[in-house]
Amino acid sequence: MAVQARTAGVAEAPGISRRDIFITVMMLLVGGGIIILGAFGTQAGDQATFTDQILGTLFSLSAQPTLYLIGMACLFMAGLRLYRGFAALRTWLALALVVLAAFAFLVWMTSGTSLNLPGMVQATLTAATPLTLGAMCGLLCERSGIINIAIEGMMLFGAFAGVAFAALFNNLWMGLIAASLVGGVMAGLHAVLSIKYKVDQIISGTVINILAVGATRFLNLRVLEPAGLSTPGHFDAVRIPVLAEIPIVGPILFENQPTTYIMLILLVVVNYVVFFTPWGLRMRACGEHPRAADTVGVAVNRMRYISVVIGGLIAGVGGAYFSLGQVGTFEDGMTRGQGFVALAAMIFGNWNPIGAFVAALLFGFANALQVKMQILQPVLPIINVPIPPEFLQMAPYILTIIVVAGVVGRVRPPAQEGKPYEKQ
Amino acid sequence: MAEERASPGRVQKIAGLPLWVRLLAIVVLVGLAVAMSDWLVLLLLIALGLWPITVLLGLAGLALFSMGRGGLSWLRTWLGARVRDLAIPLLSIFTALLIGGLVIMFTDQEVYTALGAGDIGGAVSTALRNLGTAYGALYQGAFGDPMQILEALGQALRGGGIGPVLSAVRGPSDSMVQSVPYIFAGLAVAVGFRAGLFNIGVEGQIGIGWIAAVVVGFSLTGLPWFVHLPLCILVGAAAGGLWASIAGFLRARTGAHEVITTIMLNYISFRLSEWLLCGPLEFTKGTCRTKEIAESAYLPRFLSHPVALHWGFVLALGATALAAWFLFRTTWGYELRTVGANPNAARYGGMSVTRTWVLAMFLSGCLAGLAGVSQGLGITHNAALGFQAGYGFDAIALALLGKSNPLGVLAAAIIFGVLRAGSARMQSVAGVPTEIVQIVQALVIVFIAAPAIIRAIYRLREERREEAELVVFSRGWGA
Repeated sequence: MAVQARTAGVAEAPGISRRDIFITVMMLLVGGGIIILGAFGTQAGDQATFTDQILGTLFSLSAQPTLYLIGMACLFMAGLRLYRGFAALRTWLALALVVLAAFAFLVWMTSGTSLNLPGMVQATLTAATPLTLGAMCGLLCERSGIINIAIEGMMLFGAFAGVAFAALFNNLWMGLIAASLVGGVMAGLHAVLSIKYKVDQIISGTVINILAVGATRFLNLRVLEPAGLSTPGHFDAVRIPVLAEIPIVGPILFENQPTTYIMLILLVVVNYVVFFTPWGLRMRACGEHPRAADTVGVAVNRMRYISVVIGGLIAGVGGAYFSLGQVGTFEDGMTRGQGFVALAAMIFGNWNPIGAFVAALLFGFANALQVKMQILQPVLPIINVPIPPEFLQMAPYILTIIVVAGVVGRVRPPAQEGKPYEKQ
Repeated sequence: MAEERASPGRVQKIAGLPLWVRLLAIVVLVGLAVAMSDWLVLLLLIALGLWPITVLLGLAGLALFSMGRGGLSWLRTWLGARVRDLAIPLLSIFTALLIGGLVIMFTDQEVYTALGAGDIGGAVSTALRNLGTAYGALYQGAFGDPMQILEALGQALRGGGIGPVLSAVRGPSDSMVQSVPYIFAGLAVAVGFRAGLFNIGVEGQIGIGWIAAVVVGFSLTGLPWFVHLPLCILVGAAAGGLWASIAGFLRARTGAHEVITTIMLNYISFRLSEWLLCGPLEFTKGTCRTKEIAESAYLPRFLSHPVALHWGFVLALGATALAAWFLFRTTWGYELRTVGANPNAARYGGMSVTRTWVLAMFLSGCLAGLAGVSQGLGITHNAALGFQAGYGFDAIALALLGKSNPLGVLAAAIIFGVLRAGSARMQSVAGVPTEIVQIVQALVIVFIAAPAIIRAIYRLREERREEAELVVFSRGWGA
């Protein structure tokens, strides 16, 4: 009641956006929730132990006091915002809130047991791999002015082509290259439809998504399975010698799937090319003000073709993550909507590769946590039932909706995206 | 012009009659239709199975009709206009089927075995023969065997009973059964399009409506059917509508793009139904299936066994008429279309854009929910895992094919129902996976959305008047 009264009073003050109130209310709710979790979800003497493969026990916390502390911190932040005014430190406080909430959740989950913390971080990074790759695909398309909701479809095609060609050539790397190329081809289709034929870009993207589901299932049943090409095996984690021996950092960064390394390299490259080269400036101009770009001699539509196809090549690699990086075979609809989550990560990251990567880590964490919780089966406090796994699986999708709903008003998409460009 | 002046006269004559006469006439007509519904349906199915004859009869009837309207020249203009309207959609479907055929041929194992043996002529003939089998099965699954229908009709006329006719029209019946959820789902997407919203979440809304209707169907017992059945239908529709309005509400309040939110709601609803069906609602352990609904909640079927067509078909026709009336004859429909065409103009004109978005999403979700309701109460009588079966995604193609016009959607839905019924038989007879239909559908969307491709292939002239009809979907991710 007190919470409501306070925010209701504030709402009438001028110059305060609904989003600020939303964040503050979230802080109060999260803080309260964490304290309740501590009070009812943990036993008084429970220890949460965090371990590492090499070092053994990293640190051990008394679960209940830690949760109380974190909850207090959240409430303190809310108080700070109420006291100092709303605009102050908005972004950083929101980020801190997310990190604290995530950590509190981990502590609650591990109370009474132990958790491999670097393992958890590594799982987050792995889960963030396709999301980051997909987000970079979307970013390249949208910065140049083409909306791409077909990341999902391109990844699905990539996942399929990866399996098919890896089995055909009996070489996983050939599969990875083929996955990338097929992603590029589908992006080319999207580009031709939306640039040459000026098809609405959302529809063009939907076409590719539908085609991906149908065509991959069809070809899988009719070609791959009869021809015995459906199990090429999967990539093993590549251990980089020496560096992988470093405690904590080693297992996180230097013992990963090839796709994860590719993602990290591409992240740096795309960020550099898009923001620090003349080509990137021209490309962004095509999305912001194509007429101006055209006037100074940039071939707008050619630029868009190139960006979209490069995006598709990257999305194809993201697709290979699902098939060659994980299970080593193709399953129907195996991208499970991650292409759309990648889109949300791109929006959350403000059409910026690094931002998208941070957002992807957040989604990846939700994913990794969900997998972990299915193993640990923590029991919900007060009502005393384990959380059904289906609800845990919903978490990334719900998070996406919250992100898109809570953030989209604040971000600024490229000004002219979604509009075909015609030379005058 | 001439016919436009002629028809109001007749309408006025009817409108001039006293109200009770008109009401009585409606009641009598509806009563007659219901009493004769079985026969009407049988006639429809036979007409569909023997569609070339039906088309010829229709043309003949039209020629007779044209006598009073200026003869052949009127007929020629009328047909010319229809052909021009339908050229692009029909050629799109034809081209997509052609490409689908190529895909079937090029993915045929037998063809490659023959090629491997160096027998090129054999490979070509195998490919064509297998394609013939596949598309032949597609036709029979969708329309039945015309000779069998004629034979059965002859027998029935000689007093051989109705049984053989019923089994002969099984194909057309399956097509109609499949088109029922398509009609609802296509209308759902079309209503969204009209309001400028792209509802990709129809698949999830179908599932929510389906489960809600089935839950009401089995948990309440002992009610008379005229209470129970409408209740189930309403609850299912409302559940789908409320689920969809989440996306409408988020769009209106926060600007979250409905494409992303509806897709996410899809995945959430899939997990939710998995949990419900394999958890609290599961009847027999390990089946992931609910209890059967009470018989009072069944959507009754027409005729008997091999024909599975149910009253959901009539509901779907009603929904089409209602959607057309709503969109083009009511103030809310007008506002909805205005918001879709130009939200800024609508706002300037004093309409509440946000309210319209929520309303449009709700209606769209209701229609989607009805698609689930008709399947749950008319066909399966329960809800089981993996039940939505892609109707929601195909619906996008339907709405595009029908140009978001309810009657157009109805026609497109029947075509898709035909394809789907046929593809099931094609899979069992010729071993071609049903997913080929999805490929064909994706191609149809491409050709409809980019008519320039079709015009280039068939060297058609460009029309000038279609620009006005274009609906803009993508407005970026912001407001």
